[in-house]
Amino acid sequence: MQQRIAVTGIGAVTPVGAGRQEVWENLLAGRCGISQVESFDTANYSVHVGAEIKDFDPTPYFSQLDVSRVGRASQLAVAAARQAVADAGFDVSSIEPERAGVVMGTTSGEPREVELFDDHYVAGDLEQVGPEFITRYPCHVIAGHVASELQFAGVNVMIPAACAAGNYALAHAFDVLRSGRADVMLAGGADSFSRITYTGFARLGAIAPEVCQPFDLHRKGMIPGEGAAVLVLEPLERVLARGGKIYAEMTGYGLSCDAHHMTAAHPDGAARAMSGALIDSSRKPEDVGYISAHGTGTPTNDRQETSAVKKVFGDAAYNVPMSSIKSMIGHTMGAASAIEAAVCALAVATDHIPPTAHFKDQDPECDLDYVPNEAREQRVEVAMNNAYAFGGNNASVIFEKCQP
Amino acid sequence: MSPNQSSRRVVVTGIGVVSSLADDPADFHQALIKGESGIQPLSLFDTEKLGPCVAGEVRDFDPVKYLGKVNLRPVDRAARLVIVAAHQAFLASGWTPELRQEHNVGLVLGTMFGSIHTISSFDRRALEAGPKYAKPFDFANSVINAAAGQTAIWHSLRGINSTVAGGTAAGGQALAYATEAIRTGRSDAVLAGGADELCFESLFGFHQAGLLAASGEDDACSVPFDTRRNGFVLGEGAGLLMLEEARSALDRGATILGEIRGHGNCYDCSRGQDERAAEAVRRAIGLALSDAGLESEAITAVSAAANGSVLGDRHEAAGIAAAFAEVEEPSVTAVKSMLGETLGASGAFATIALLESMRAGVLPGVRGLEEREDGLGLTGLSATNRELEGRLGLVNAIGLDGNVAALVIERMNAQELAQRIVETA
Repeated sequence: MQQRIAVTGIGAVTPVGAGRQEVWENLLAGRCGISQVESFDTANYSVHVGAEIKDFDPTPYFSQLDVSRVGRASQLAVAAARQAVADAGFDVSSIEPERAGVVMGTTSGEPREVELFDDHYVAGDLEQVGPEFITRYPCHVIAGHVASELQFAGVNVMIPAACAAGNYALAHAFDVLRSGRADVMLAGGADSFSRITYTGFARLGAIAPEVCQPFDLHRKGMIPGEGAAVLVLEPLERVLARGGKIYAEMTGYGLSCDAHHMTAAHPDGAARAMSGALIDSSRKPEDVGYISAHGTGTPTNDRQETSAVKKVFGDAAYNVPMSSIKSMIGHTMGAASAIEAAVCALAVATDHIPPTAHFKDQDPECDLDYVPNEAREQRVEVAMNNAYAFGGNNASVIFEKCQP
Repeated sequence: MSPNQSSRRVVVTGIGVVSSLADDPADFHQALIKGESGIQPLSLFDTEKLGPCVAGEVRDFDPVKYLGKVNLRPVDRAARLVIVAAHQAFLASGWTPELRQEHNVGLVLGTMFGSIHTISSFDRRALEAGPKYAKPFDFANSVINAAAGQTAIWHSLRGINSTVAGGTAAGGQALAYATEAIRTGRSDAVLAGGADELCFESLFGFHQAGLLAASGEDDACSVPFDTRRNGFVLGEGAGLLMLEEARSALDRGATILGEIRGHGNCYDCSRGQDERAAEAVRRAIGLALSDAGLESEAITAVSAAANGSVLGDRHEAAGIAAAFAEVEEPSVTAVKSMLGETLGASGAFATIALLESMRAGVLPGVRGLEEREDGLGLTGLSATNRELEGRLGLVNAIGLDGNVAALVIERMNAQELAQRIVETA
């Protein structure tokens, strides 16, 4: 009998607030975290909005590391991790540090550190670049900082699987627990608002000028954002033994690679990830009560994702509510599927589904139930979390109500 | 921890190497036992800002030599290294393009930076010329998983595709990740290893951080475990191992080179700063041994991660000594003495070097080792080559700031593997 894996704690820092409860309430209320970009000057850009986290104070979350010596993505990640552990309600001193691990995903790691290097390079004053550039920049420091701050000395892995990284991290942590390599795993994703990412998507013409409207007929693109989410995963037996609460059970995942194009997805890959996840969790399409869509708001993604869902779910596709919280918090990159995994766990736990905001007109090619504009109270037995990334990486993860 | 419970064994059926020493695993081993060094004056880019530099560069790297006349424009140097190493590994293991169409082959790539050069160049172009002139090709390659994605496209790899970052531990972590993907039944065939490129951005960054053995200085020394050491020399390359589930590999008549017997991964919360680093090395070795169901006495050779860093080498030595405290210490080699610190590739290179050493029966010495640091406690360390009779070896892949991975590997041929499967059935 394989270990069953429970989600027992949730932490998140997002453009619509921080902490499980605040984030969840704001998403259900359809609040939007998109505003004018402040972290760099967008005067030379044709777009100017982003989903930045304003007024984030990382200080209260740090007790081991010096917060001023840690990049912003790490700060967001540590905050989410601290919240998640507090939410799980276990006494950190009750865990063997060697049996507690961290797997995190990201798109860009600590991009601000390389952007600062680039500023100096262009200004011709590279001598101003200090030792912190190369020690703070590499993306693996995010999982490392989380582990150092919480003194988790077990398995530690960083998975930079771009926009599907959160799901990749959850998938890996799931296997680590199942193979008995840890008692507790923190898994999630983090990215800070990046000039490089913004420039790239702007250059591709992929950024919407004002609002993010996934699946809407007049959708104009995605909106880059930042954030972090961390889920506490534990073997079910262990949670039951300590009497901990359970949001959901993680029951499986599917990964696939398109091997088609770096930035243009191929719908077969997405379908293979979804089918793989269903098989892995021994579920049929009609069991699924909610899909958290990748739903970036670009014309192509939303059309292709819709088509992939139809391919896997058949007629059942029309009965599954599928929403995109990117309509409210933008595309938080490596954090996105981690935040969306938290949403799936909470949907399963509370039987509420967050809406796709800013939905006005139906696209004939996107004709599924996208939960337009209003949250819904509806039983969710099984939820599927979809994520797709540059490089043709696809990942779907399944969460279910936990029947111990 | 208890031994791995999966009945699915993970074997190596082919190796791809693109390195400063050689582009073939047998030549790679030959160069190592001849004590050749890939570390030479840097020619890849201008180092005016740093003064004269040495590096373990893949000189005159020309993908066309391997791939034929192809359009490489969309692919950056980091990805080219991986694409060529993958090409070599597929040739060696018999994974033809036709076979790759029939089966979903996975790829797990360890890397420290992806391509920081591409990322930085993209950003600088936008700063200098304006964001409208940023290059879309560069943006596609600016994600850290770009090399894995490009390689998947190039070679039609539709299985799991993961990039693992763990600094200089990434290559070892990637091999462990792929091993689990096969053990759990999620994949039957996964190409795994690591890669990083040499570039100005990382070289300059390490230089500013004072981590490099000062180039051009008379006292510069990057010899692992040597008391004179004062930093590492940066290198580059790609090393990939074709990993397969043992039965399916035997069924298709594959050449068997070895087996991944166990792996361990843990974290040093001091981030390389104090004795917890040594303890983490000991723990990772212990985890890998118990995963393999072996005691420390079974190990006859260790391929160390030591790169010439003052603290890092000391902690690794202490960790190895503690892990083998009760038994005769195995022979220890450190191939970064010849390759430099190849970052994400290093764990894969250390693995390939050890597997080839066990197959050939000769373990390379640590090039340049003259004065062993007092109190290191590594009796198995030697400047000269040693005969190697054992079939089980240990690989360390250790990060600069906390990540530690260890692998237990065994040399194995198809006949031995078939016998082993019968015995354990």
